[in-house]
Amino acid sequence: MKPISYVDELTRHYGSMGFPPYKWTINETAPLTRITKPLAECCVSLLTSGGISHCTVPGFDPDARNDHRLDEIDQNTSNQDFAINDSYYNHTDADQDINCVFPIDRLKELVEDGTIGSIPNRFWSGFMGRIYNRTKLIEESIPAFIDKLREDAVDVLVTAPA
Amino acid sequence: MGLVCRSVEEAGIATTYIATGRDLTIQVKPPRSLFLNFPMGNNFGEPSNQGQQTAILRRALEMVEEVELGGTLEDWPESWPAPVTYFTGRKSE
Repeated sequence: MKPISYVDELTRHYGSMGFPPYKWTINETAPLTRITKPLAECCVSLLTSGGISHCTVPGFDPDARNDHRLDEIDQNTSNQDFAINDSYYNHTDADQDINCVFPIDRLKELVEDGTIGSIPNRFWSGFMGRIYNRTKLIEESIPAFIDKLREDAVDVLVTAPA
Repeated sequence: MGLVCRSVEEAGIATTYIATGRDLTIQVKPPRSLFLNFPMGNNFGEPSNQGQQTAILRRALEMVEEVELGGTLEDWPESWPAPVTYFTGRKSE
Protein backbone atom coordinates (compact mmCIF):
# COMPACT_ATOMS: atom_id res chain seq x y z
CA MET A 1 0.00 0.00 0.00
CA LYS A 2 1.26 3.44 -0.94
CA PRO A 3 2.24 5.56 2.08
CA ILE A 4 -0.04 8.45 3.03
CA SER A 5 1.01 11.80 1.59
CA TYR A 6 0.97 13.74 4.82
CA VAL A 7 2.06 16.94 3.13
CA ASP A 8 -1.05 16.91 0.92
CA GLU A 9 -3.36 15.79 3.71
CA LEU A 10 -2.10 18.32 6.23
CA THR A 11 -2.23 21.15 3.70
CA ARG A 12 -5.84 20.23 2.86
CA HIS A 13 -6.84 19.68 6.48
CA TYR A 14 -5.38 22.86 7.91
CA GLY A 15 -6.26 24.88 4.82
CA SER A 16 -9.90 23.97 5.40
CA MET A 17 -9.56 25.31 8.95
CA GLY A 18 -8.26 28.62 7.67
CA PHE A 19 -4.57 28.13 8.45
CA PRO A 20 -1.99 29.50 6.03
CA PRO A 21 0.14 26.85 4.27
CA TYR A 22 2.80 25.45 6.59
CA LYS A 23 6.33 26.31 5.55
CA TRP A 24 7.95 22.89 5.45
CA THR A 25 11.64 22.54 6.06
CA ILE A 26 13.22 20.80 3.08
CA ASN A 27 16.79 19.63 3.63
CA GLU A 28 19.02 18.25 0.91
CA THR A 29 21.67 16.83 3.22
CA ALA A 30 21.83 15.60 6.81
CA PRO A 31 24.52 15.50 9.49
CA LEU A 32 25.87 12.18 10.71
CA THR A 33 27.68 11.27 13.93
CA ARG A 34 29.17 7.78 14.03
CA ILE A 35 29.32 6.07 17.39
CA THR A 36 32.87 5.45 18.55
CA LYS A 37 32.16 2.28 20.53
CA PRO A 38 29.97 -0.77 20.05
CA LEU A 39 26.24 -0.43 20.63
CA ALA A 40 26.68 -2.92 23.47
CA GLU A 41 28.60 -0.21 25.33
CA CYS A 42 26.34 2.71 24.43
CA CYS A 43 23.89 4.56 26.67
CA VAL A 44 20.60 4.81 24.76
CA SER A 45 17.85 7.33 25.56
CA LEU A 46 14.35 7.73 24.22
CA LEU A 47 12.20 10.67 23.05
CA THR A 48 8.65 10.73 21.75
CA SER A 49 6.47 13.60 20.58
CA GLY A 50 3.31 11.57 21.10
CA GLY A 51 1.88 13.65 23.96
CA ILE A 52 2.56 11.09 26.66
CA SER A 53 2.93 12.10 30.29
CA HIS A 54 3.14 10.47 33.67
CA CYS A 55 -0.33 10.07 35.12
CA THR A 56 0.54 12.17 38.19
CA VAL A 57 1.28 15.37 36.24
CA PRO A 58 -1.13 17.43 34.10
CA GLY A 59 -1.51 15.98 30.64
CA PHE A 60 -0.27 17.66 27.49
CA ASP A 61 -2.64 20.03 25.72
CA PRO A 62 -4.08 17.70 23.08
CA ASP A 63 -4.62 20.55 20.61
CA ALA A 64 -1.30 22.23 21.34
CA ARG A 65 0.46 24.57 19.01
CA ASN A 66 3.90 25.97 19.72
CA ASP A 67 4.13 23.91 22.88
CA HIS A 68 7.79 23.48 23.81
CA ARG A 69 7.02 21.42 26.91
CA LEU A 70 9.47 18.58 27.47
CA ASP A 71 8.86 16.10 30.30
CA GLU A 72 11.40 13.89 31.99
CA ILE A 73 10.09 10.37 32.32
CA ASP A 74 11.67 8.29 35.06
CA GLN A 75 12.97 5.10 33.50
CA ASN A 76 11.34 3.10 36.30
CA THR A 77 7.87 4.32 35.35
CA SER A 78 5.44 1.43 34.96
CA ASN A 79 3.95 0.97 31.50
CA GLN A 80 0.54 1.42 33.15
CA ASP A 81 1.28 4.88 34.51
CA PHE A 82 1.03 6.96 31.37
CA ALA A 83 -1.62 9.26 29.96
CA ILE A 84 -1.73 10.28 26.31
CA ASN A 85 -3.22 13.60 25.27
CA ASP A 86 -2.84 14.33 21.58
CA SER A 87 -5.70 15.00 19.17
CA TYR A 88 -3.57 14.60 16.10
CA TYR A 89 -3.17 10.86 15.98
CA ASN A 90 -5.15 7.81 16.96
CA HIS A 91 -3.53 6.56 20.17
CA THR A 92 -5.99 3.76 20.92
CA ASP A 93 -3.24 1.15 20.56
CA ALA A 94 -0.68 3.19 22.48
CA ASP A 95 -3.21 3.70 25.30
CA GLN A 96 -3.35 -0.06 25.55
CA ASP A 97 0.40 -0.61 25.23
CA ILE A 98 2.68 2.41 25.60
CA ASN A 99 5.45 0.47 23.84
CA CYS A 100 3.71 1.12 20.50
CA VAL A 101 5.08 4.65 20.57
CA PHE A 102 7.42 4.71 23.59
CA PRO A 103 9.13 1.32 23.88
CA ILE A 104 10.42 1.55 27.44
CA ASP A 105 9.97 -2.14 28.18
CA ARG A 106 11.60 -3.24 24.92
CA LEU A 107 14.59 -0.96 25.52
CA LYS A 108 15.12 -2.40 29.00
CA GLU A 109 15.08 -5.89 27.55
CA LEU A 110 17.85 -4.87 25.13
CA VAL A 111 19.96 -3.80 28.12
CA GLU A 112 19.31 -7.15 29.79
CA ASP A 113 20.32 -9.16 26.72
CA GLY A 114 23.41 -7.02 26.15
CA THR A 115 22.38 -5.46 22.82
CA ILE A 116 22.88 -2.00 24.29
CA GLY A 117 25.06 -0.93 27.19
CA SER A 118 22.69 1.04 29.38
CA ILE A 119 19.78 3.44 29.63
CA PRO A 120 19.81 6.73 31.54
CA ASN A 121 17.63 7.36 34.59
CA ARG A 122 15.22 9.46 32.53
CA PHE A 123 13.60 9.43 29.12
CA TRP A 124 11.83 12.26 27.31
CA SER A 125 8.41 13.26 26.00
CA GLY A 126 7.76 16.56 24.27
CA PHE A 127 8.22 18.67 21.14
CA MET A 128 4.65 17.73 20.35
CA GLY A 129 4.68 19.20 16.90
CA ARG A 130 2.80 21.98 15.24
CA ILE A 131 5.67 24.17 16.43
CA TYR A 132 5.63 27.19 14.18
CA ASN A 133 8.19 29.29 16.06
CA ARG A 134 11.14 27.31 14.77
CA THR A 135 13.75 29.89 15.79
CA LYS A 136 12.92 29.38 19.48
CA LEU A 137 13.10 25.63 18.92
CA ILE A 138 16.53 25.74 17.34
CA GLU A 139 18.03 28.46 19.53
CA GLU A 140 16.54 27.57 22.91
CA SER A 141 14.54 24.38 23.32
CA ILE A 142 16.76 21.95 21.44
CA PRO A 143 20.06 23.22 22.93
CA ALA A 144 18.56 22.89 26.43
CA PHE A 145 17.56 19.32 25.56
CA ILE A 146 21.06 18.55 24.26
CA ASP A 147 22.51 19.75 27.57
CA LYS A 148 20.31 17.21 29.38
CA LEU A 149 21.38 14.39 27.07
CA ARG A 150 25.01 15.31 27.76
CA GLU A 151 24.36 15.33 31.52
CA ASP A 152 23.14 11.76 31.10
CA ALA A 153 26.15 10.78 28.95
CA VAL A 154 23.79 9.60 26.21
CA ASP A 155 25.45 8.08 23.12
CA VAL A 156 22.33 7.27 21.10
CA LEU A 157 18.86 8.84 21.04
CA VAL A 158 15.89 6.84 19.74
CA THR A 159 13.10 9.14 18.55
CA ALA A 160 9.48 8.34 17.81
CA PRO A 161 7.46 11.18 16.27
CA ALA A 162 3.67 11.01 16.57
CA MET B 1 11.30 15.88 15.65
CA GLY B 2 13.39 15.58 12.53
CA LEU B 3 14.88 18.96 13.36
CA VAL B 4 15.60 17.76 16.90
CA CYS B 5 17.46 14.74 15.51
CA ARG B 6 19.53 16.88 13.18
CA SER B 7 20.57 19.26 15.97
CA VAL B 8 21.31 16.46 18.43
CA GLU B 9 23.39 14.73 15.78
CA GLU B 10 25.31 17.96 15.06
CA ALA B 11 26.06 18.10 18.79
CA GLY B 12 27.77 14.71 18.51
CA ILE B 13 25.04 12.34 19.72
CA ALA B 14 23.80 9.72 17.26
CA THR B 15 20.05 9.51 16.62
CA THR B 16 17.66 7.09 15.01
CA TYR B 17 14.18 8.13 13.90
CA ILE B 18 11.27 5.71 13.70
CA ALA B 19 8.94 7.33 11.20
CA THR B 20 5.37 6.76 10.03
CA GLY B 21 5.25 9.72 7.61
CA ARG B 22 7.44 8.93 4.63
CA ASP B 23 7.09 12.18 2.70
CA LEU B 24 7.53 14.30 5.83
CA THR B 25 10.68 12.38 6.73
CA ILE B 26 12.18 12.76 3.27
CA GLN B 27 11.66 16.53 3.47
CA VAL B 28 13.22 17.15 6.86
CA LYS B 29 15.84 14.43 6.40
CA PRO B 30 16.86 13.21 9.86
CA PRO B 31 20.29 11.52 9.94
CA ARG B 32 18.85 7.94 9.98
CA SER B 33 15.23 6.96 9.55
CA LEU B 34 13.40 3.69 9.62
CA PHE B 35 10.06 4.17 7.85
CA LEU B 36 7.09 1.96 8.70
CA ASN B 37 3.95 2.22 6.64
CA PHE B 38 1.97 1.96 9.86
CA PRO B 39 -0.50 4.38 11.45
CA MET B 40 0.99 7.34 13.29
CA GLY B 41 1.41 6.27 16.92
CA ASN B 42 2.15 2.68 15.95
CA ASN B 43 5.80 3.46 15.26
CA PHE B 44 6.82 0.20 16.96
CA GLY B 45 3.88 -1.80 15.68
CA GLU B 46 0.96 -3.50 17.31
CA PRO B 47 0.03 -3.48 21.01
CA SER B 48 1.29 -6.51 22.94
CA ASN B 49 3.28 -7.70 19.90
CA GLN B 50 6.59 -7.78 21.73
CA GLY B 51 8.40 -9.60 18.96
CA GLN B 52 7.48 -6.97 16.40
CA GLN B 53 8.24 -4.07 18.75
CA THR B 54 11.65 -5.49 19.56
CA ALA B 55 12.48 -6.23 15.91
CA ILE B 56 11.71 -2.63 14.91
CA LEU B 57 13.70 -1.19 17.79
CA ARG B 58 16.63 -3.49 17.03
CA ARG B 59 16.67 -2.50 13.36
CA ALA B 60 16.56 1.20 14.24
CA LEU B 61 19.53 0.69 16.57
CA GLU B 62 21.46 -1.37 14.02
CA MET B 63 21.14 1.58 11.66
CA VAL B 64 23.20 3.61 14.15
CA GLU B 65 26.06 1.18 13.61
CA GLU B 66 25.61 0.67 9.87
CA VAL B 67 24.53 3.92 8.21
CA GLU B 68 27.42 5.80 6.59
CA LEU B 69 25.51 8.60 4.88
CA GLY B 70 23.44 11.22 6.72
CA GLY B 71 19.82 11.27 5.56
CA THR B 72 19.52 7.53 4.98
CA LEU B 73 15.94 6.22 5.02
CA GLU B 74 15.19 2.53 5.18
CA ASP B 75 11.76 1.00 4.53
CA TRP B 76 10.47 -1.60 6.98
CA PRO B 77 9.36 -4.63 4.95
CA GLU B 78 6.16 -5.53 6.85
CA SER B 79 2.87 -3.85 6.01
CA TRP B 80 0.07 -2.98 8.39
CA PRO B 81 -2.75 -5.54 8.45
CA ALA B 82 -5.44 -2.89 7.75
CA PRO B 83 -5.59 0.15 5.44
CA VAL B 84 -3.54 3.04 6.84
CA THR B 85 -5.59 6.22 6.59
CA TYR B 86 -5.03 9.84 7.52
CA PHE B 87 -6.37 10.61 10.99
CA THR B 88 -8.39 13.80 10.76
CA GLY B 89 -8.08 14.51 14.45
CA ARG B 90 -10.35 14.65 17.41
CA LYS B 91 -11.10 17.94 19.00
CA SER B 92 -11.02 17.61 22.75
CA GLU B 93 -14.25 18.65 24.41
